[in-house]
Amino acid sequence: MGVYVHIPFCEQKCHYCDFHSVVVSDQDRLSVTGSYLVSLHKEARYWSSVWGGEALFALFVGGGTPTVLPAEELADLIAFLRTELPFVDDPEITIEANPHSLTYMGARLLRQAGVNRVSLGVQAFQDHLLRGIGRIHSAEQARESVQTLKKAGLTNINLDLMFGLPGQTSHEWADTLRQTVALGPSHISCYSLILEEGTPMEKWVREGLVHVPGDDQQAEMYALACKMLTKAGYEHYEISNFSEPGFSCRHNLLYWHNKPFIGLGTGATGYVQQCRYTNTTDIQEYLRTWGEGPPAFRWSEQVSRDQEMDETMMVGMRLLGGVDEAAFRARYQVSFRDLYSDAIEELMKRGLVQFSAGSLQVTQRGLFLENQVSLAFLR
Amino acid sequence: MVQKNIRNFCIIAHIDHGKSTLADRLLEHTGTLSKREMAEQVLDSMDLERERGITIKLKAVRLTYRAQDNQEYTLNLIDTPGHVDFSYEVSRSLAACEGALLVIDASQGIEAQTLANLYLALDHDLEIIPVINKIDLPNADPERVIRELEDNIGIPGEEAVLVSARTGEGIDKILETIVERIPPPQGDPEAPTRAMIFDSHYDQYRGAVAYARVVDGVIRVGDTILMMSSGRKFEVSDLGVLRPALVGVDALGPGDVGCIIASMKDVRDTRVGDTITNASRPAKQPLAGYRPAKPMVYCGLYPVVNEEYTDLRDALDKLQLNDAALTYEAESSAALGFGYRCGFLGLLHLEIVQERLEREFDLNLITTAPSVVYQVVLTDGSVKEVDNPAALPAITTIDHIKEPYVQASIMVPDAFVGAVMDVCQDRRGIFTHMEYITPERARIEYELPLAEILMDFFDRLKSRTKGYASLDYEFLGYRESDVVKLDILLNGNPVDALSSIVHEEKALSRGRGLAEKLKEVIPRQQFEVPIQAAIGNKIIARETVRALRKDVLAKCYGGDVSRKRKLLEKQKEGKKRMKSLGNVEVPQEAFMAILKVD
Repeated sequence: MGVYVHIPFCEQKCHYCDFHSVVVSDQDRLSVTGSYLVSLHKEARYWSSVWGGEALFALFVGGGTPTVLPAEELADLIAFLRTELPFVDDPEITIEANPHSLTYMGARLLRQAGVNRVSLGVQAFQDHLLRGIGRIHSAEQARESVQTLKKAGLTNINLDLMFGLPGQTSHEWADTLRQTVALGPSHISCYSLILEEGTPMEKWVREGLVHVPGDDQQAEMYALACKMLTKAGYEHYEISNFSEPGFSCRHNLLYWHNKPFIGLGTGATGYVQQCRYTNTTDIQEYLRTWGEGPPAFRWSEQVSRDQEMDETMMVGMRLLGGVDEAAFRARYQVSFRDLYSDAIEELMKRGLVQFSAGSLQVTQRGLFLENQVSLAFLR
Repeated sequence: MVQKNIRNFCIIAHIDHGKSTLADRLLEHTGTLSKREMAEQVLDSMDLERERGITIKLKAVRLTYRAQDNQEYTLNLIDTPGHVDFSYEVSRSLAACEGALLVIDASQGIEAQTLANLYLALDHDLEIIPVINKIDLPNADPERVIRELEDNIGIPGEEAVLVSARTGEGIDKILETIVERIPPPQGDPEAPTRAMIFDSHYDQYRGAVAYARVVDGVIRVGDTILMMSSGRKFEVSDLGVLRPALVGVDALGPGDVGCIIASMKDVRDTRVGDTITNASRPAKQPLAGYRPAKPMVYCGLYPVVNEEYTDLRDALDKLQLNDAALTYEAESSAALGFGYRCGFLGLLHLEIVQERLEREFDLNLITTAPSVVYQVVLTDGSVKEVDNPAALPAITTIDHIKEPYVQASIMVPDAFVGAVMDVCQDRRGIFTHMEYITPERARIEYELPLAEILMDFFDRLKSRTKGYASLDYEFLGYRESDVVKLDILLNGNPVDALSSIVHEEKALSRGRGLAEKLKEVIPRQQFEVPIQAAIGNKIIARETVRALRKDVLAKCYGGDVSRKRKLLEKQKEGKKRMKSLGNVEVPQEAFMAILKVD
């Protein structure tokens, strides 16, 4: 079980991003982020009373850009959460960072606070592509950041990459993958650019001002990533995720195993005692709420047992290892073979899934059409 | 009521020339309905009729009018449907009258249906009273309309009554003219009973109700009546007249118009045009003109989900109670499963039925492309009627095929004559005649294959003539024609529901157009899907829906499982609306694509 903390601040909003984050000026920074951190403390205390004693073994600080906050404040926050919530002694603690926003001293401080994994938003190694999507760092800064982190003793590093960017060629994507491998991170995530409604990028593409690679080309880019990264020794363990053996992300595995977790901060999602919730994205409302309690959910639902089983299949099939039959039966006292016999039969007929080593898994073809696999399990 | 004080009349008009409003005004002026009771256009009672501004089912209303001679008259207003699909019903209601109000819009002038209806009325020897309506409109030009009347129809201009149904101006003049000019009904009260059914409707409690005009004899409550076309007998339980609510009467005599209730099960017992006589003293000869309603257009109706098949059957059963012209029989399609082959009077009739099925019965339907009835002459000399391309016999057994032709009459301002000719020529039309009704307006006649009219013809005509063209057509007969069956293959398998019968000359362009259109509407699938158009074994066009290579949410949604779920559920919903043919998912609109291809 784990904790996700959302830091909704950025220096600049990327053109494609529809995650919840706001740009705060230096002037406002102290007052806004200061109160935000106070509210995070209060929210953590609230969930600590609701949560019960189950051990937490992962903490993920994401954003936004967590590292727009001074390292001292982040270190304090982490220390507070570790005392307030029932973390195990050596939890996986990941922090997201942008390449230009980390200093050697900052990294050291975070490491001392217990951070043992850093996820760097590198996206690409071509400056013109980075500018095109509104990133404010350069490829050179990305390379430097990796060295800085390693020097500071943070060696468990994930690099986030994106394909299907405006104007991106397969050649450039291959180059990004090569440079990534050369930096030797322990973990690599490859996401395709999704045009989300309401983002400038979506508007530009719709209006024909910007062109992105088509579905077929994106499929090729994805295939290329799978091929190059596996060849370089990375284990392809989730649709978008690759790791050195033993370095898969424990926190994200919670999601894919459909396990409970606490979400803290504006826009954060949590799953506690069968209740799935998303916090308000209105920072002022969030601050007010935790001045007065109770939590301000933007949305919440009670998940029934049937729905949870569907969702366990839906997210579990994203893992290349698939959904373990015995584990599913132990958790729900029923076999998924019985529950989803029609869906499984159809998917097998279409060559999208297979049984292997006691698990139901996607095939190579199913990997590319995973939506069709996942949706077959929604009743 | 004394026979000499009865006047039976109808109102005929081109669509939108104000027939329904005029009827409302007549009801109001005779005190049949007070203004307060008056819903707008009371005669059009079905929702659909009001929405589309057309009258589908005709009805008869009895008006009582005290004329200037101080005598009381019974005026029976018989409503007529205003669309070419229902021309047989129009002719039956005309046959129940002695006179007709010919309504012409003062700004539009004579239109195609004005003339078509006028000729029909003249065929029935009706006294014609021209009524020039909407004289209150700023662009009204009654003088021009009078000239058109004199020049084209030979009706003296002074006979025309100028009215505004909207303001009520001239309505009294119409009523007086009806009494003066329309002759009272002839007919012998002592002769064997003969009454003609001109409409019927199904009532949940009374069964089928026949609207009839008594010609000879008298019908009384308790009589046993005989339907002369079917030989079926019923006992009359109630008789009534509509004022416009049903008011019971004991008897209906010569010239009377009323409704007959005799525990008849459905409207097929009360065929429009049939003659009712008395079973104990039957007439020797039925009244002239009866013919069973004959569908001109057929299509397949299939439920999107097979489970709705019985619901569809129940719905068709119910509709047919009220619509003798609707025919249906079970059929099955390899592609679409079980459904019904339905026959309609025309495209409008088809659309109305389809819409009622979806709206009133909440069914989700796939409609296959409409087809006319082809006469297939086989090599052994026998003739087979084919209304479904899938049922076309093997080529080797066919000697030749005949298709139905219609005589189309199109009226249009002078400037658009060329455009009309273009459209008709393109639709294999044969020009037969053109005349100028006024120096600015022409009437053009073409012989056209009915099949061409089904394919978006009227819309095209309207758009090429800025909406000015008016169309009327009547069935001419069958002609030998070089038609072929055009098949569509998806993934190598012919899809029967996408086959069509087309003229040889057009097969290539239609095949290409259809393949292109289908490529647009069929989403990418797991495998590449070839779309082929073929005549016999010959492939004439090919398109390919490329395989779906990537369908995956390769994005980090964090732990937002519910968002992921919602996205997938949306995708799943879309999938449900598709029909699965073999392993190809085909959306509903693919089956209507045939209609939208040139």
